[in-house]
Amino acid sequence: MESIEAYFTEDGNICETAADFAAAMTKVNLYRYDCIILDITLPDGNGLEILKQIKAGQHSDGILIISAKNALDDRLTGLDLGADDYLTKPFHLSELRARVAAIVRRKTFNGNNILQFNEIWVDLVAKEVKVQDSAIKLTPKEYALLLYFIANKGKVVSKNAIAEHLWGDSMDITDNFDFIYSHIKNLRKKMIEAGSSDYIHAAYGMGYKFSEK
Amino acid sequence: MKLLNKYNRLTISVAVVTMLITGIVYYFTISSVLNHQVDKALMVEEREVTDYIRLNQHLPQVFKTNHQSIAFTAVAVPGKRHFIDTVYRDLKDQELEPARALYTNIHAKDQDYQMLVVQSKVETEDLLALIFLITLALVCVVVITFFLLSRAILSHIWQPFYKILKQLSKFQPSGHEDISPITSSIDEFIELDTAVRNMANRVKSEYQTLKAFTENASHELMTPISVINSKLDTLLQTGEFTELQSKILYDIYASVTKLTRLNKSMLLLAKIENRLITDEQPVNIKTLITTQLNSFEEWLNGKTLILETELHNYSVRASLLLMEVLVSNLIGNAIRHNTPGGILQVTLTNHTLKISNSSLAKELDFNILTKRFQKSASSEGTGLGLAICKQICDNYGFNLNYHYTNEIHHFVVLFKQP
Repeated sequence: MESIEAYFTEDGNICETAADFAAAMTKVNLYRYDCIILDITLPDGNGLEILKQIKAGQHSDGILIISAKNALDDRLTGLDLGADDYLTKPFHLSELRARVAAIVRRKTFNGNNILQFNEIWVDLVAKEVKVQDSAIKLTPKEYALLLYFIANKGKVVSKNAIAEHLWGDSMDITDNFDFIYSHIKNLRKKMIEAGSSDYIHAAYGMGYKFSEK
Repeated sequence: MKLLNKYNRLTISVAVVTMLITGIVYYFTISSVLNHQVDKALMVEEREVTDYIRLNQHLPQVFKTNHQSIAFTAVAVPGKRHFIDTVYRDLKDQELEPARALYTNIHAKDQDYQMLVVQSKVETEDLLALIFLITLALVCVVVITFFLLSRAILSHIWQPFYKILKQLSKFQPSGHEDISPITSSIDEFIELDTAVRNMANRVKSEYQTLKAFTENASHELMTPISVINSKLDTLLQTGEFTELQSKILYDIYASVTKLTRLNKSMLLLAKIENRLITDEQPVNIKTLITTQLNSFEEWLNGKTLILETELHNYSVRASLLLMEVLVSNLIGNAIRHNTPGGILQVTLTNHTLKISNSSLAKELDFNILTKRFQKSASSEGTGLGLAICKQICDNYGFNLNYHYTNEIHHFVVLFKQP
């Protein structure tokens, strides 16, 4: 939880934590959040009860459930009860960040599905990317990669996390992540050609960082 | 050899030997009794002759009948009186018949004679033959009756035993069927049944405990792995790293990823075994394969594999998740173990999915292959992939087969026909 708090707070976001069921209930009833990350297995209660409470109050907080169980039932119950997303432990913080960003985007920019980062415009509905008004054609993987980077801007994202995000379980096939490199190289090339600054930096051979410097 | 046959063979051979021995004893007894009878007749003849001589003082006139003849020979010294077995020439047929003869001495007109009385035994022989035949027939009848009777009775009595045996051979610790009790009035079978059912229950509960342990252990491990993962992600943000530190971090990431995968696989396997995944729905295998092949695009291109597909529409009723795992594992293996520039064939015809790949490896032992944690030294997998595939197929009654022809490995899933 500390890790999650640190990872989310750094960027000027406000991140509050509740360590148990009672504290969570209090906070949920007092404050409104853009997104609540809810661990189903709390020390003194079932996280799903909190979810029910939020939904009963007609609050529009985004909710992302995390659970140690990969149980389909939990997942379905959670989504049926109105959770926005579900993540199974263990996960990468960058993945969580990307999912939360997506939820917040959906909640905040109702109807206006444009994501902007400096000179980069991303139309989330049409899945189009523009740099200084010139459209660039990205493959689905490159598009996903770009969104992932923007959600995790300023963070070092490990190759493992990228591979897991883009390929899911298929990446079980190998431990070698060299193929990520070609996707990143292409994305970077296309963006620079369109006039964007070079935001993607390799980080110590372990991953990449999307930042202005 | 069946117990019944063994039992029959033993009892029948003992019965036949006993009957043969009694038959022989019977034969000799009757034969000696009849001999004695003939001897008596001879002695009667002897007395008649003696009485005749005493009365008439000369030898009687003798005639040969069909069964008997008497002859007198004058001798100087009287011989010993004795019976012998001999033959008798039948008057009518001129055939030699077994006979009994008595040599005896008589005295008439101051002359010693040796008298020979011969009596044919042909009638008694006939009688003996008849007795022998009847005995033989009796033996046959007894053997056949015994055989049929024991067969009928035994197969009926042993029915519970076969029932237990059948259930026992079908028994699986992971299965959900219990061994149902049998009805029998035989103590041994009731005891056997109780023992077998107790054992089955014990095996099952041990197995369940073990399985629950695996599942719980995997669950419990997820949280610390999760913490390691988050801490690593956080550590990554803390600043500059030297090349050595980067290398170490990279290796830790790789190991954590492997650990996660392994743990997930173990959990999945436990779930499939416990049949906890029940989201059955019609799954279009063709669509599934196409999707999976797309997600493997990078690896297909990376190894410059030649992909040949022949996909017909085919749907099964199963869990989408499990079908994804099945197809993904099989295709993943076929890519993982392929040689650069090798072949990958995916063929989906009516209820058969065949995935074939070239590989440096020689023919594999399928039974060993589907065991848990079996993998080649160079493999980056968890060693659970095929075990999971096998378990999925077992659950749905599909058949997972392997064969090797012309240096190509084929994995074939035979879907259950509806």
